[in-house]
Amino acid sequence: MKILAIALNTFGSFLRNKLMILCLSLFVCVVLLMMTPLAGMKMIATPENAQEVQQTVMQYIGVIAMFVSGAGSLLAAWAAADAVYGEMKSGTVLAVMARPVQRWEFLLGKYLGVQLLMLVYVLMMFLLSYLLAWIGGEKIQSTPWVLIVYPLVRWSIYSAIAMLLVTVFHSIVAFGITMVISVLALMLAPSDRGVHWLPEWTRAAIYAVLPSTGLLSEDRFFTITQASLKQLTWSAHLTTLAYGLDYALVFLLLAMWSFHYRGLSRD
Amino acid sequence: MTAPAIEFREVTKVYKKRLLGQEIAALTNVSFEVAQGEVCAFLGPNGAGKTTSIGLLMGFHYADYGEIRVLGEIPGDVRAKQKIGFLPENFAFYKYMKAPALLKFHAQLAGVPAEQASKLIPDLLYKVKLNGYEGLKISKYSRGMVQRLGIAQALLSDPQLIVLDEPTSGLDPAGRKEVRDTILALKAAGKTIFLSSHILSEVEQICDRVIIVDRGRMVRSGTLEEMLGPGDRVEIVVDQLSEEMERGFVESGATVERKEHGVHIAAPTGRKRELAEMLWAAGCDVVSIVPIRNSLEELFLKVVGDGAKPFGGTPS
Repeated sequence: MKILAIALNTFGSFLRNKLMILCLSLFVCVVLLMMTPLAGMKMIATPENAQEVQQTVMQYIGVIAMFVSGAGSLLAAWAAADAVYGEMKSGTVLAVMARPVQRWEFLLGKYLGVQLLMLVYVLMMFLLSYLLAWIGGEKIQSTPWVLIVYPLVRWSIYSAIAMLLVTVFHSIVAFGITMVISVLALMLAPSDRGVHWLPEWTRAAIYAVLPSTGLLSEDRFFTITQASLKQLTWSAHLTTLAYGLDYALVFLLLAMWSFHYRGLSRD
Repeated sequence: MTAPAIEFREVTKVYKKRLLGQEIAALTNVSFEVAQGEVCAFLGPNGAGKTTSIGLLMGFHYADYGEIRVLGEIPGDVRAKQKIGFLPENFAFYKYMKAPALLKFHAQLAGVPAEQASKLIPDLLYKVKLNGYEGLKISKYSRGMVQRLGIAQALLSDPQLIVLDEPTSGLDPAGRKEVRDTILALKAAGKTIFLSSHILSEVEQICDRVIIVDRGRMVRSGTLEEMLGPGDRVEIVVDQLSEEMERGFVESGATVERKEHGVHIAAPTGRKRELAEMLWAAGCDVVSIVPIRNSLEELFLKVVGDGAKPFGGTPS
């Protein structure tokens, strides 16, 4: 009950956060601008250039989806850092922690509040993907649940890392480090685009420690045509998601441990 | 014998600046007890360690040395927090909320059943004179209204121990009187109250016990009676006094002040009888002989300003 109250209060405060509303408005404007060419492509499609247009539309939708998904990562890290730091900065944490609430309950409530926000975001992202495909005259063939669950698990890792860092650092520092970690994880992933100037053993060692968010990317399943639909077994899905949740859980537990021992005051 | 509501035993708290490697002793070997049902004032100049002590008491910080017990539990224990109401200094709130929503949120955290909370919240708002402002966002409240709301949230779960950090801060004289009356009503109901304040005249009116800290050390602790004592001077009021007698009194160390309703003579308590007999013999009508009680402010300035001198109570 207490954890739920804190989670709902955290979620409510996000919905009233002026900075967040401003950023989301700007973000929606950018997405709308990016969507305009899609409608044009649908208009110029003829039986002769249908395949070519379809490929361009797919690529274009992929770029927008990646942009929206990347913004989700930023949002997850920022929301988690701000949820805790905002309480410390304003001093509201003192009145809350004077109640019969354990520190881990407070942090878990904050974390769940962030996940609620990300759930709303992922549902909007999901609807946007279908909308984009419809505007482009295509149909997404992917299994819907992977487009929702995979990004949520990935963002749960980012928010857990940010939450751990904000128990020690200022929210901007925590957000910045989380972003550096996520970029490093992408750069060091074993792929053609990855970093090649680092010795293999160093790259592999760092990659083993960083969250393998590439595995949890919905890009892997984001297909528009039946022909390119990538199939994955249930056990592969479960293993990947368990890995992501395990990673998030470890960081959340570390955050709880760190928060337990820190002093609470108005920062 | 009932266990004390608050116990500090040789508590030391040192803040460490991680990057500079500096250590700042916020509290050093502080020991005191507050009995259940007492109203105890925790006084000290800015930076004396009051907020740190309250933070330790509430479980916001951890002591480096020593032992603290609150209602028999360690600070931060939910069993103790269940019975504590707390008003932080400059009570902070969620700006987008309205008073009933904030109190409802705190009621949920305090484990107050929803049905009970829905009855309790309007009563509390009425008690702190915030009824009629339920539809207004807290961010639009004046400082005094916010402080009153803070007091309402502290009383939400019918606490056994109430910790108030500067409860009258930001309130006008009428608001301060209301807070005083609320504290006295809580005292009458058997609640223990631990408060910090800079307004010493108010503390004198409501507190049973006073603890004074300065630069992280406890400099005085005791009941108000012990601390202020009967005083070492008396004031004798007479209807009239000859100039010759006035000169004699002044030369012997007394002070004489002529006022509209008589002549006020302040002299050491030991000379009370001698002076009274002299005045009667001279045909003066002695209107009253009253011991001059030291004020808390005088005591505070004496121990904090000029260093600790024995003045009743328990020197640390």
